[in-house]
Amino acid sequence: MMKSLNAIGLGSSECGLTERRTDPSTMRVTEIAPDDRIVAFDAAGLAQYKGLLRVLILRDLKVLYRQTALGACWAIAQPLFTVLIFTVIFGHFAKIPTDGAPYALFAGSAVVLWTYFSEAVRRSANGLVAEAELIRKIYFPRLVIPLATVVSPMVDFAIALAVMLALMLWYGVVPDWHLVLAVPTLIVTAMLALGVSLWLGPINVRFRDVKHTLPFLIQIWMYASPIVYASSIVPASVRWVYALNPMVGLIEAFRFAILGGSPPDAFALVVSVTAALALLVSGLIFFQRMERSFADII
Amino acid sequence: MSMAISVQDIGKQYWRAPRAAHQNSLRDALSEGVRGLLSRRSEARPSQESFWALREVSFGIRHGENVGIIGLNGAGKSTLLKLLSRIAAPTTGRIRLEGRVGALLEVGTGFHRELTGRENIFLYGSILGMDRREIAAKFDAIVAFSEIGEFIDMPVKRYSSGMYVRLAFSVAAHLEPDILLLDEVLAVGDYTFQRKCMDFARRLQGKGSTILLVSHNMFSIKTMCERVIYIKGGRVAYDGPTDEGLTHYERDSYLADTAWFRPDTGDLPVKISDVTITDESGAPRTLFRHGERMRIRARYNAAEPVADPHVLFSITRSDELLCCNFSTQADGAGLTALSGEGEVELLTPPLTLTADTYTVSMVVRQRGFERLLAAKIGGRFHIEHPVFAPDVFGVFHEAGSWTTNGAASLR
Repeated sequence: MMKSLNAIGLGSSECGLTERRTDPSTMRVTEIAPDDRIVAFDAAGLAQYKGLLRVLILRDLKVLYRQTALGACWAIAQPLFTVLIFTVIFGHFAKIPTDGAPYALFAGSAVVLWTYFSEAVRRSANGLVAEAELIRKIYFPRLVIPLATVVSPMVDFAIALAVMLALMLWYGVVPDWHLVLAVPTLIVTAMLALGVSLWLGPINVRFRDVKHTLPFLIQIWMYASPIVYASSIVPASVRWVYALNPMVGLIEAFRFAILGGSPPDAFALVVSVTAALALLVSGLIFFQRMERSFADII
Repeated sequence: MSMAISVQDIGKQYWRAPRAAHQNSLRDALSEGVRGLLSRRSEARPSQESFWALREVSFGIRHGENVGIIGLNGAGKSTLLKLLSRIAAPTTGRIRLEGRVGALLEVGTGFHRELTGRENIFLYGSILGMDRREIAAKFDAIVAFSEIGEFIDMPVKRYSSGMYVRLAFSVAAHLEPDILLLDEVLAVGDYTFQRKCMDFARRLQGKGSTILLVSHNMFSIKTMCERVIYIKGGRVAYDGPTDEGLTHYERDSYLADTAWFRPDTGDLPVKISDVTITDESGAPRTLFRHGERMRIRARYNAAEPVADPHVLFSITRSDELLCCNFSTQADGAGLTALSGEGEVELLTPPLTLTADTYTVSMVVRQRGFERLLAAKIGGRFHIEHPVFAPDVFGVFHEAGSWTTNGAASLR
């Protein structure tokens, strides 16, 4: 009864203010000043907002799955149809060699990882602009936005991976212990996606044409990676140039984790890890330098 | 005594539009950059033009103090709040804040339309810096304060704008910050909810919070703040007791009005030198309670005698709505001529206008509205009433007499 009275505003509407911690000497102190340090990473400030990170990830997922009629079916249908098209065109018509694996599995294993990577980059490079209202009106570490948008496509990834494993069973292929390698591969891929986004996001705030260029870049990047074909068809003389693409090592590693077969090229793997780390560290520095002016120019 | 907020010499520089407009695309920026390299800055970089939204601003606010920030539009008030809340970074100077800061520059930014009220409480609470346990603990109080009731599990896109704002404010109200930065946000919802918000802010005050309030509503400022900082052209023009600060502000906003309304500088035959507003006893006042009478006095100088003049005092609301005219002709004042220097005075009936800001202006016309002889915008005044607000009660409110049939008293 009391509750319903409250609800229509007739009951007491006292706000539950707790007793104030009165001693100012124990209060948190915030210092604000123009900052010209090159490296200004505020890990403690970010840690205070880990709850926000969680909530933003959940929000993205809820909204994504609630707004679309198909909901979670999208996460299944999209990679499934991509694999189907690839299998028909590149597997059956072009007869691209796959080092022995059924083409659908060969392409599917790569598509699962690539879809995660491209979605993470696309969402987090556009994330800052999408949250422009928030950035203009509320303070929080801006890094929360790319972090959330790199994590949230992992749910789609998990669903797609489950579909992939089901497809393998249908083909009579059973994954072995190598499957655990999928985890570090995904982590490095997420680091790489975050590193790329930490550069593209702030540039997108300043120059909005990044948004239009990005789908094109992602498409080129896809064909420069061993997704519809095996990297073994690249001539050996230019293989090292090819392996400078950090996604080459990651996709080979992921395919190896799921399907087994020939292990990934060591040089390509070193490039992947190095590039992911380098982009992540430089991206963090760049992002923290740029984020102070987001509210002014967004 | 330690300060809750200390601001030292801060400035904020913005780049003017050309830079942003010209170089908004990466392609333009690249081509501009190449051209710049080739031409060796022959164009003397016109795009680098900048201006200071705030300059050399310093002040200190003690724990538990409530301060109003006032100023004309574009003076830099909102920029100041953005710097204090860390949304934007200062170009120069230092700010030191002691305690948890809650900033409400706009109510409801961060709400997601597709999510339910319940989900939005957690989302918005996290955005404002509360952790999950804290929000969960205050959840029932937030829902009760918002008066949303059973709609809490409905997507907020189906809420009315009033419900939306009430829910958002309720979340923000439970933030319990040590320092609360407010930008005009108390002016939301209907008047009962507004009063609730004011009560809430006062209770927060009572608990020792420091409140910084930006508002154009001089009542909020007057009732909540003992001190005002008046920002003018990006600098602190006044910092001290509220009453005196409001006087400075009133004078400047009056000057800002007359700058564009200049009919009295033309060749009109009668000059009006002074329009003053006083209370019934003749003491200068700008704040009136609903139902009080007001005296408006004007000095004029008619170089040539004018026969059959028609003097009007008009009261215009802050949104430019003409509310009423007091007219010598309509009221039968028996004014037959103006000649040389003189004075006219009007004692108004009890003013039943609703609570808002009004401007008095004076017009002198030839009888029958034929020719304009003089015009001048006078001062502003405020009508105060806790309930009779223009959005609910219209232009004026007077008590009527009621008869009801068959209605039994519920009490």
